Amino acid sequence: MPFTIGPAGDSAMRLSFQEAPSPRLTQILLQLQRTAQRYFLESLSDSVVGYATLTLFFTPLSLQRDQVTVWLEKTALSLCDARQVLDTPSTETVVLPVFYDPAVAPDLISVADELGLTIDALITLHSATPYFAFATGFAPGFCYLGTLDSRLKTQRLSTPRLRVPAGAVAIADQQTAVYPCESPGGWQIIGACPVTLFDMAATPASKLAVGDSVRFESIDERTYRALGGQICER
Amino acid sequence: MRTLTLDKAGIASTIQDGGRLGTLQAGITPAGAMDPLALKAGQYRLGHRAGEAALEIAYGNVRITSSHKCSLVITGAPVTVLIDNELVISESIHTLTAGQTLTIGAPSEGIYSYLHVSGGFDTCPVFASRSTSPREGIGGLHGGYLRDQDILPLSEDALPDDNFRADPGLCSIGQRSILTLRYVPGYQYDALAPALIQRLHESHFEVTAKANRMGVTLNGPPLNTGVESLLSEATCEGAIQIPPDGNPIVLMKDRQTMGGYPIPGAVIESDCVRLAQARPGQRIRFTACTPQEADNIRWLEQHYVETRLR
Repeated sequence: MPFTIGPAGDSAMRLSFQEAPSPRLTQILLQLQRTAQRYFLESLSDSVVGYATLTLFFTPLSLQRDQVTVWLEKTALSLCDARQVLDTPSTETVVLPVFYDPAVAPDLISVADELGLTIDALITLHSATPYFAFATGFAPGFCYLGTLDSRLKTQRLSTPRLRVPAGAVAIADQQTAVYPCESPGGWQIIGACPVTLFDMAATPASKLAVGDSVRFESIDERTYRALGGQICER
Repeated sequence: MRTLTLDKAGIASTIQDGGRLGTLQAGITPAGAMDPLALKAGQYRLGHRAGEAALEIAYGNVRITSSHKCSLVITGAPVTVLIDNELVISESIHTLTAGQTLTIGAPSEGIYSYLHVSGGFDTCPVFASRSTSPREGIGGLHGGYLRDQDILPLSEDALPDDNFRADPGLCSIGQRSILTLRYVPGYQYDALAPALIQRLHESHFEVTAKANRMGVTLNGPPLNTGVESLLSEATCEGAIQIPPDGNPIVLMKDRQTMGGYPIPGAVIESDCVRLAQARPGQRIRFTACTPQEADNIRWLEQHYVETRLR
């Protein structure tokens, strides 16, 4: 599995795999992140796993680039060869309830039309199989889930919405996600999830983590409301 | 309780310290003062020891009243300062008695000024930092930009006056006709067309009005990468992100932690500070530097901090 190692600005290093994202690649990156945390200790100020990258942030002037490069190369190579790195999710499947309805999903009808699907078929496709959590970030608690059935592949909105409500379940390309808090966003909204995904008082604050398995479950309006879901009158 | 009341909060004032560490994977932006040197200078002058937070003020125009006697100093973008309508020397450490009003005018250059109070602000830390991230509603007084009549709690243990130190004489922000930003090539640098990199190096850009704590959007000859989006990955401070419209955005303290646009490299931290203080209209050019050159610049800055601010 070929990769490159290079600087990310003046105090971070970035390892990037050339191959397509997969659960096994993510598990390798997670393992590499944990090993780096144990190896570099306090000099490592932060670290982030992306779809095919690991970025290591160092406290200024504690970064020894040559040493980090050699270590990353050696450790990544041995992890790529290791049999014990799993290609399965790190957790039991997290089930998230979703109310798929035009009342909470402004793009549901247009997406179904564009894809040539009935709304029921779209819901079945979206909630049929568990997704893998490839990355987190963008906003607190935001988790990039994939890979969507190719029949659900859509474009982003040409003009992103300035306000996407918390709980919006959205799709773009072959990814899906739940917006944990109100934010701008360009993905197409097909449902609403009443579960809180980011709570600072909880440990960990984010309900979802990289490597998790997540499945959506279609619920009716009564259940949605009973779980605390809200429908804004438009 | 000792407090400061913001009679006039200014357009984008927030509580900031050095920012958060270890929260990027959760999607929480690091935040922190846009001008970390100005933050350190104020902490130094009041004898602070624990990374106390300051009030970050964008474009001045703030008026405060103190409930108790307190000492304060202002650093960063130079501003005029009045105590009860009387002009005072803006660089000095001032003592405000109970009920006195301090007025901070518009800066003559730069954007961000910092009001430091002896002992610091006593807002509740979130993930070990008092910094405010308005987009996430985290930190500071109520998670957002401060509003008129907000009341800021002050630490009860104000430091004795003999801790105070003289002005270390921070270099002025210095207006330049062209601000050169040094950046370390990386990310998609090798994958981008050489003609595009040449354009990045040879063109002049301008800071637009879309400049804030999240990022500074530049205007210039469009840099067409032909790339709509990439697999999302971690961004770093100073990253030069090129969206499909071709106008580069240099990411700052409140950046989104993940990005999917091509990045030819990242501006070194010391030049991020200059960019943070640059106003719309400022002309910009980019020049590549090696990681070793970036380290040398950091060591020089570290030397300054250690010899002047400790």
